[in-house]
Amino acid sequence: MSENSMIEVRHICKEFVSAKKYPGLKGAFKGLISREKTHKLAVDDISFTIKEGEIVGYIGSNGAGKSTTIKMMTGILTPTKGTCLVNGIDPCRNRKKNAQNIGVVFGQRTQLWWDLPLSESFTILKEIYNVSDKDYEERMEFLNRVLGLEEFFAQPVRNLSLGQRMRADLGAALLHNPPVLYLDEPTIGLDLVVKDNIRAAIKEINEKYHTTVILTTHDIEDIEELCSRILIIDQGKLIYDGSLTDLKERYGTRRKVVMEVQDTEQAKRLPLNEYLGVAKDAYETQADQDSSTITISFDKNHLQVSDVIEQMMRHTQVKDIKIFETELAEIVKAIYKHSA
Amino acid sequence: MRRRLKVYMPFLENQFKRNLAYKGSFYLFILTSLFGPFISYYLWSAIYGSSGGGMLGGLTQSEMIIYVFMSYVTSSLVTVGVSDAISDDVMEGTVAMTLIKPIDYRMRLIFMALGEALYRFLAPVIFVWIGLEIYKAAVLGLGVTPVINILLYILSVIMSIFIHLLFDFCFGMVAFVTTYMFGMNMAKEALLGFLSGQLIPISFFPQVLQQIFEFLPFSSMIYVPVMVYLGKYSGMELAFVLGRQLLWIVLLYAFGSYLWSRITKRLIVLGG
Ligand SMILES: Nc1ncnc2c1ncn2[C@@H]1O[C@H](COP(=O)(O)OP(=O)(O)OP(=O)(O)O)[C@@H](O)[C@H]1O
Ligand SMILES: [Mg+2]
Repeated sequence: MSENSMIEVRHICKEFVSAKKYPGLKGAFKGLISREKTHKLAVDDISFTIKEGEIVGYIGSNGAGKSTTIKMMTGILTPTKGTCLVNGIDPCRNRKKNAQNIGVVFGQRTQLWWDLPLSESFTILKEIYNVSDKDYEERMEFLNRVLGLEEFFAQPVRNLSLGQRMRADLGAALLHNPPVLYLDEPTIGLDLVVKDNIRAAIKEINEKYHTTVILTTHDIEDIEELCSRILIIDQGKLIYDGSLTDLKERYGTRRKVVMEVQDTEQAKRLPLNEYLGVAKDAYETQADQDSSTITISFDKNHLQVSDVIEQMMRHTQVKDIKIFETELAEIVKAIYKHSA
Repeated sequence: MRRRLKVYMPFLENQFKRNLAYKGSFYLFILTSLFGPFISYYLWSAIYGSSGGGMLGGLTQSEMIIYVFMSYVTSSLVTVGVSDAISDDVMEGTVAMTLIKPIDYRMRLIFMALGEALYRFLAPVIFVWIGLEIYKAAVLGLGVTPVINILLYILSVIMSIFIHLLFDFCFGMVAFVTTYMFGMNMAKEALLGFLSGQLIPISFFPQVLQQIFEFLPFSSMIYVPVMVYLGKYSGMELAFVLGRQLLWIVLLYAFGSYLWSRITKRLIVLGG
């Protein structure tokens, strides 16, 4: 294992072979002996390495295999092929030892005890993870500050709102200060304020404890706010592994210049391609009478933003200019669509 | 060991507290579950009455009364199970939530079940038991059960609880294979009622069947502790039945571990 790499995944595959389940008592026996199977390759030969202290976004469309990968890294699912090492431990061979090193939040469900007051869930977790009294106090103080747990600490988990429950779950995953934190859709269904709080908490935990975080999400903002690196998976295959800036560099080359002009009709008729010495389809122009704006979109590898602006300003009356990069959401959408 | 207890004790406490919270339904449960032994009591009284009051299946009528109520006491404690919890966990996909924590799934279930057993011991078992002893001394004129029998019974019943829990864990593994736990459960309970001696003492069956029943773990669950209580075993035979209980614990523990490791290898956690 190379120095300070926290997670090493090598050629990991997961094929779900599910014996068909049958209804009824007869079915129960049939299920025991039947050989009828359905196969599904959910994760297909994925490899990556994650360094200590990184926050990595793991994204992909629905059913891409994100949760399956996370489950293999937590040790609750055995890979069909390939290996996985988390902090030097094989999570499947050594589930309990690995569990001591990781914190997990599955946004879709809770790991807390439904009937118990939150406070008691935490007491149980303290025993399970063997957290000392001193550490417990210190950790609780921190978690209270970043997640505001005391507000609902005495309530049974089943009475908590989704946002409260998610904060509680995140707190529970962090009580033992694990070096690795898996977050499977931690912001699903949350309002904007709670989302912000959760993100801020993740950031602070990462900075304070140098926790390695792997995050799956469908909210691109999570990625933009938190992750320096992203992995994109599609139909079980890893199709991108790199920094966010590289991704934007590679796929996000569209630029959009929006100008407020005196006379949209005149501006639209301008032979911009001649001024710039390029083909007519190198850009697209759209005029909007109501807001008296004209929008020119193009690929920045073919045209310079500054040239476009310069030529426009030379030939028409420009009052205001806005420049837009491609949004990450659009890039991601394009990648999902492209590989589908 | 101390640390282990500390980890799993909260699960015991929890289950106990949860039962306390639902006392209303539990009183109802006690009431309905006491029907069984009283019906048996009248049934057996009639049978003994018509047969002229001798020994049946090696038991006198008084011993039969004690058998009926002690089998109620015993089965109340012994039948706390884990398979319902397993099938719930499988259905709701909450197994994963235990597996992401550094705890043993079976141990957690066992401690939860022990919490349930403790609750049942306090209500109603202990009262029925004391009532029976008073009845035995005052009405049947047999005096109270000797302390040594009581101690041996306690030892035996504790082993019974573990035999049943470990068996039920193995049975619960079926939940990973089928969705039809309800029916499987009914079948299991019916079978257990017979094979464990809960309904009819095993000594009532023909010799051949008795030998088969004794060969299975179920007779060690209820029949054995009740017969120990009645003082029907002594010397080597006593050592043998207690030793056999211990053996079942070891075997079922090992078998459960084997099944669990097989199942977790191909465990499929639903949802997410
Ligand atoms: N237990 C299972 N048995 C059979 N197939 C499964 C099982 N669990 C998951 N799959 C399949 O594996 C694929 C990957 O599922 P996974 O849950 O990893 O997707 P995901 O990327 O987390 O999607 P989402 O964003 O919707 O949560 C899906 O096609 C799913 O149907
Ligand atoms: Mg998922």
